[in-house]
Amino acid sequence: MVRRLLLAIPLALPAALSVAAAQANNPGGPPLARSDYALTNVRIVTAPGRVVERGTVVVRDGRIAAVGANVPVPAGVVRMDLTGHTVFPGLIDAATSIGLPSPTRQLPAAAEDAPAGGRGGRGAAPAQGGRGQALGRASTPAPPVVLPELEADAEAADMFTPTEAELKALRAGGVTTVGLVFQGGIFPGRVGAALTGSQSNSRLALRASAGQEVSFGTRRGGYPGTGIGSVAFIRQTFLDAQYEARVDKAFKAGTPGARPSNDPLRRALVPAATNTMPAWFVASTERQLIRVAEIAGEMELRNPVVVGTQEGWRAIPALKKMGATAVVSLDWPSPDDVTGRIFLAYGDGRPGTAPPVTAADTAEVRGNAAALAKAGVPVALASFGGESGTTFRDRVRATIAAGMSPDDALRAVTVTPAALLGITAAVGTIEVGKLANLVVVTGNDLFASGTPIKHVFVEGRLY
Amino acid sequence: MRFSNRRSRAALAAATLAMAAMPGTLAAQDVAIRNATILTITNGDIQNGTVVVRNGKITAVGANVSIPAGIRVIDGTGKFVMPGLIDAHSHAALEGGINEGSESVTPEVVVQVRNDDPTIYRVLAGGVTAALLLHGSANTIGGQGRVIKMRWGQPVDSMYFQGAFRIVKFALGENVTRASSTAPADQRRFPMSRMGVEFTVQYWFNKAKEYDKEWADYRAAVRTNPNAIMPRRDLRLEALSDMLKGELKVHSHSYRADEILMLIRVAEENGFRVHTFQHVLEGYKVADEMARHGAMASTFADMWAYKVEAYDAIPFNMALMAERGVVVSVNSDSPERIRRLYQEAGIGVRYGNMPVNEALKMVTLNPARQLGVDKMVGSLEVGKDGDIAVFSMHPFAGQSMVEYTIVDGKVLFDRSQANTLRKQAATQGPGGND
Repeated sequence: MVRRLLLAIPLALPAALSVAAAQANNPGGPPLARSDYALTNVRIVTAPGRVVERGTVVVRDGRIAAVGANVPVPAGVVRMDLTGHTVFPGLIDAATSIGLPSPTRQLPAAAEDAPAGGRGGRGAAPAQGGRGQALGRASTPAPPVVLPELEADAEAADMFTPTEAELKALRAGGVTTVGLVFQGGIFPGRVGAALTGSQSNSRLALRASAGQEVSFGTRRGGYPGTGIGSVAFIRQTFLDAQYEARVDKAFKAGTPGARPSNDPLRRALVPAATNTMPAWFVASTERQLIRVAEIAGEMELRNPVVVGTQEGWRAIPALKKMGATAVVSLDWPSPDDVTGRIFLAYGDGRPGTAPPVTAADTAEVRGNAAALAKAGVPVALASFGGESGTTFRDRVRATIAAGMSPDDALRAVTVTPAALLGITAAVGTIEVGKLANLVVVTGNDLFASGTPIKHVFVEGRLY
Repeated sequence: MRFSNRRSRAALAAATLAMAAMPGTLAAQDVAIRNATILTITNGDIQNGTVVVRNGKITAVGANVSIPAGIRVIDGTGKFVMPGLIDAHSHAALEGGINEGSESVTPEVVVQVRNDDPTIYRVLAGGVTAALLLHGSANTIGGQGRVIKMRWGQPVDSMYFQGAFRIVKFALGENVTRASSTAPADQRRFPMSRMGVEFTVQYWFNKAKEYDKEWADYRAAVRTNPNAIMPRRDLRLEALSDMLKGELKVHSHSYRADEILMLIRVAEENGFRVHTFQHVLEGYKVADEMARHGAMASTFADMWAYKVEAYDAIPFNMALMAERGVVVSVNSDSPERIRRLYQEAGIGVRYGNMPVNEALKMVTLNPARQLGVDKMVGSLEVGKDGDIAVFSMHPFAGQSMVEYTIVDGKVLFDRSQANTLRKQAATQGPGGND
C-alpha cells in the first residue's frame, strides 16, 4: 500500500518530509487511495476539554484503531509526523440542506396529469383535494398521494446528492459529517446524517430517521394555504398520528372495531407524535420559537429540536420550557431584521427612522449561541440557511469571539450534534472504534484565525 | 461598526434617547393623573379629578383623591381622561395570513399576532389599548381571532388579553360567495350563493353534533368496556362543538338584514347564540330581532357603498340599534381608522343624537363586553386595569389629540416625547451604517 502511494506522488520530495503529509496537505482536494495511517507526535484533542499533549492516532480500515500518548506505530501504516500540529474530531454541521431537493420543488408537468398514487419525491403526483371537498365538490376516492411538502417518510439520507464541489467546500471548512434537514414544506421528511467524503468512493449516508422534520410551510393548491393554517394543520396531524398509534395498538391486540387508517402521513408521524423519534421544528424567529413551544406543550412532545433558532436569545424561556435542543444557524440575521428592532425606533417606527446598527447590536446577534449555552440550552451549531461549507469554521470562530467558550463551541460542533443525530457511537470524538473523521490544524487552536487546516480525514480517507 | 461622521453620531445619541424611552425599560406600573376631567363611563364625569394606578390596576378615581408619594404624576389640567379605547374589529398586527380561505370552514385556525408591527405604536397614539384581531371574511366559518392588549415592546405571548373570550369569525354574503368566483369552474369553492352559506353553516353544525355524540358514546362505553377506543380528536369539529357550548363566541361578518335574520334562525335552531354581528350595516332594520336573540353589534360609523351589499347603510345605524337595546360598538377594520376611533364614536352623537356617554361606550365598555373583558377594562373604576387614554380636549372635539396612552399603568405613548423624537429624526436623518 505504501508503495502504491509512493508511485502516485512526485518522487522529488525533500527527504525530511513524511510521505503522506507532503502529498496531502490540501483538504479540499481529491482523495488518495485508501490507506492506514499513524499520526505521530501530534497534539490530540480527543473530545472537548480532553487533550493528549503529544501522542499518536492510528487509523485502520477507516476507523480509529488506537489513540494515546504511548501508542506503538504498527507496521504497514503510513506514518505522518505531525509535530506542531493538533488533531481534532472532524466537525459536524448539525443541519444543512446542501445536496437535498427542495420540498417546494415543482412537480414534473407530466406527473400532474398522471394517475394518482405516485410519490412527489420520487416520481411526483397530482395535488390532493382539500378536506373541505365533502361539501359540494364531487370527491373521487384517490389512493394515497404525497406532495413533497407532506412526504413525511422521505429520508434526507436517501435523497442526499451533493456535488463534489459542495463536498469539497464542506471538507475545506473542517466538516466531516452533516445533519441533513430539508428547507421548506410542512412535513418534508426525516432528518438524516451523512459523511462529506467524496461521492465517488464513499458511502455517504450514515443515519436515517434521526428526527421528524416539521416546518411552518404551506401546501400548494389547498389547505393549509397560509402560515396560520399551517399551524392548525400541524397540530391536527400530530393528533391524528397519536390517534393512529392508539388504534394501531388496539388493532394489533385484536380489539373489535379497531382499524388503523394507514394514511401515509399519519403513519409516518407516529414515532414523532409518540416521542420515539425527536421532532425537529424549523423555527428561527422569536415568535416561531414561542409557537413551537406552544405546539410541543399541547402535543406533549419531549425534548424537541429547533433548527435555525436565529433569535434564540430572545426566546430562552420558551426553549427551556419545552426542553429543546437548539440547532443554531450560523447564518446570522441582519440586526435590522431582528424581532423588536422597531421598539428602538424613533416615535412611530416609520421606515428609515430606526437607529443605526451598532457594534453591540451585531454582537448580540452573533452572541446568540453563547447566550443559549450560558442559559443552559443545549446548542449545536449549523450552517442551515447559509449553506456555505467553506465558511463554517470562520463562523464558529466568530461565535467564540462573540462570547461562546471554545470548549462549548467545540462541543456544539462535535458531541452535541452527534448525540442529536444519533451517531455518537460513530463520530464526535477521537476514540477507538469510531470512524476516523479527523481535522488536523497547524498549531493548537482549531478556531484561531490563520491556522490553516492541514488535513481532513473522512472515514479514514485523507483529503 | 464605525460611526465616522457627525450625523450618524447624532443619530446614535437620539437612538440612545429612544432606547431610554422604550417601554420595556419602564419597570414601574404606578402612575397618577390629576386635576383632569375624568370620563369614567360607568359613574359619570368628574371635574378636577384624579386617577391613581398602582401595580397596573386602578386604585382610586375621584375628585378628592390623595396621590401616593413617589409615583409618576401627570398634570391633567384642561385634559380629559377616559378608559383606553377598545377596537372590536381589527386585522392589524397579524402575520401568517389573514384568511385561511382554502376551505369554507376552518375554525381550527387561529390568527397569529405580530408583536412588533409598528401599527401597534400608531394605535397607541390613538388611545387604543386593546383590540380583537380577527380572521378575515373569505370563508363562511373562518378562524379564531385573538384579543390583545397593546403591550408594545413585549413578546407576543405577553400581549394576549388573558381572560378574554375565545372568538371565531363567521362571514356571510358577498365576500364568501365571490371568493373563488374568478377561478376555473372545477376549482371553485362551495358556497357560491347565500343559500349555500346557510347550508354550509347548518351542515357543519350537524357534523359537530355527530362528533359530540361520538364522544358522548365513548365516554358512556368506556365505563363498562375498558377497550373502547377513544375517538379521533378533530380540531375543526371541536371548535364547532365549542361554539354550540358557548365557549367559542361567534362574531359574524354581515351586512344585509336577510342574512342577519338567517344566521339568527340557524343559530337558534342549533341552540347557540350569535354573540356579535360585525359590520351589520342593515342592523337598524332588524335591531329588535337582534336584541331579542341577544346578539350585540359592532359597526362602522359612516362607511358604506363599497360593494352592493353595503348600499343600504345609514349613519343613524349605531344610534338606532342602541335605542332598541342592542349593545353597539363602533370599530375600525382598518389600521388607519383605528387611530381615530374616538372620532368615529362621535359620529353617533352627530347622527342619531346619542347621549355623549352612550357614544363613548361604543369604543370602551361595549366592545369590552363583546370581547369578554368588561370586568377588567372599559371604564375607570377601582380594581380595573390601568388602561387609560389622556386627551388634550374632550375626545369628541374636532382638534382633540391623545397625549398619553397608558397600558397596565405603563405610559406606552407620550406625545411630547414622540414629537421630540420625530423632530430629531427629521433634522438628523435616519443615520446609517457607514
